[in-house]
Amino acid sequence: MIDCEQLAPLYEEYALGILEGEERAELEAHMARACDRCSAGVAEARYVVSQLALLAPSVEPPPALRGKIMEAVKSSASNPVRAVVPLAKTSAPRTIFPVWAWIAAAALALATGYTIRQMGNQNTQLAELRKQMKLATLQSQALQNQLEQSRMVSSVMLSPDSTPFKLMPKDKNMPMVHAYLHPHMGVAITAEQMPSVDPAKTMQLWFVPKAGKPMSVAIFRPDSAGQIALVAPVNMPKDEIAALAITEEPAGGSPQPTSAIVWMAQVN
Amino acid sequence: MERILQRDSSALETLYDRYGRPVYSLVLRIAQHPSSAEEIVQDVFLQLWRSADRFQISRGPLEPWLFTMARNRALDFLRLRREKQRRREDSTDTEIAPSAISRPDLEGAIDKSRRAEKIRALMTSLPEPQRRAIELAFFEGLSHSEVAETMGEALGTVKSWIRGGLLRLRESLEEARS
Repeated sequence: MIDCEQLAPLYEEYALGILEGEERAELEAHMARACDRCSAGVAEARYVVSQLALLAPSVEPPPALRGKIMEAVKSSASNPVRAVVPLAKTSAPRTIFPVWAWIAAAALALATGYTIRQMGNQNTQLAELRKQMKLATLQSQALQNQLEQSRMVSSVMLSPDSTPFKLMPKDKNMPMVHAYLHPHMGVAITAEQMPSVDPAKTMQLWFVPKAGKPMSVAIFRPDSAGQIALVAPVNMPKDEIAALAITEEPAGGSPQPTSAIVWMAQVN
Repeated sequence: MERILQRDSSALETLYDRYGRPVYSLVLRIAQHPSSAEEIVQDVFLQLWRSADRFQISRGPLEPWLFTMARNRALDFLRLRREKQRRREDSTDTEIAPSAISRPDLEGAIDKSRRAEKIRALMTSLPEPQRRAIELAFFEGLSHSEVAETMGEALGTVKSWIRGGLLRLRESLEEARS
């Protein structure tokens, strides 16, 4: 087991996307159990790494690009299907928010309450108070990111334009994986009671076309509760998709499947 | 962002005027192809328009979010193009819809030009191989082992370079913000 002190120098490499193997698995395990220090450190590291963008030589974009974007925005605005459905205005069942979201909400409420209590302390404690507030903000952001993911999943699941599929396991002892394919919003994947995945491996979702090689859609792993809830972009017209398939691949994913299909659903 | 949430397209124009150049510069540096870079930048700003409510939830700063999304999409494009080239041994550029969005956090309180100056100064101060290793990882999306192979260096050396350089970058930005 690696502690936070040892993981701290790895935050930027994780944000850069190059941390692998045991170190990556350890850091993700810390974040999965809401480790405050590692979550805050990775959030900070994402900011630090993003700033490397400023090293790119400054180039003026083509003047026509601005117009193209605004034209696309206008046509997008006329297509209400692409708008994300606000969760609060739907009749979504409560179960679309997984248990961890409520637990995290409770944790956030406690953290916020603690922070507010600290604000009543003397001025000499101001620095510590600011630190606590920053931490609470980061916790809030982490929670909101999780809620956002749930919201995206529910939006796809509830859309009348989505087509549901059941990915059947090759091993009958494994749970079923549900997929909801939406032409614009993406493909939502949900599952519960999934087995844990070897830290050196990952699960990978593929679109299997009627002709040609499978196309990678998403790389993921179940959370600590064995749940999967994600939305990945659709990068292939539905008519061209013969099947959805999930394989187990080395950590980081593979350009093409390297192992047997573990879950599959016929699409066309 | 509030105006974008209210579907005020002029707000997106304002954001494009502010961030279009750095986002395009980043994407072009990665994709190395102007027409592809245009497509990706268009996609990034459209994503911002369509997902404004989701972004609003996070209340993080916009600039790192845009940079991270632009980098991820450009790298997705680059990886798919490499894969296609490997398969076909063909240098034809193909427009492929990128995927994956990640979301950065935290607030950068210093202005962009000062940060850019600070980051460039720091990178210039690094030994050339260390700088190149970080740039290969960031702009080319290469893993540790791929960077080591590209540079003909030992994996441990490359890991040490990248780790050390990024930690110095962290410290430098912290100093600039304090």
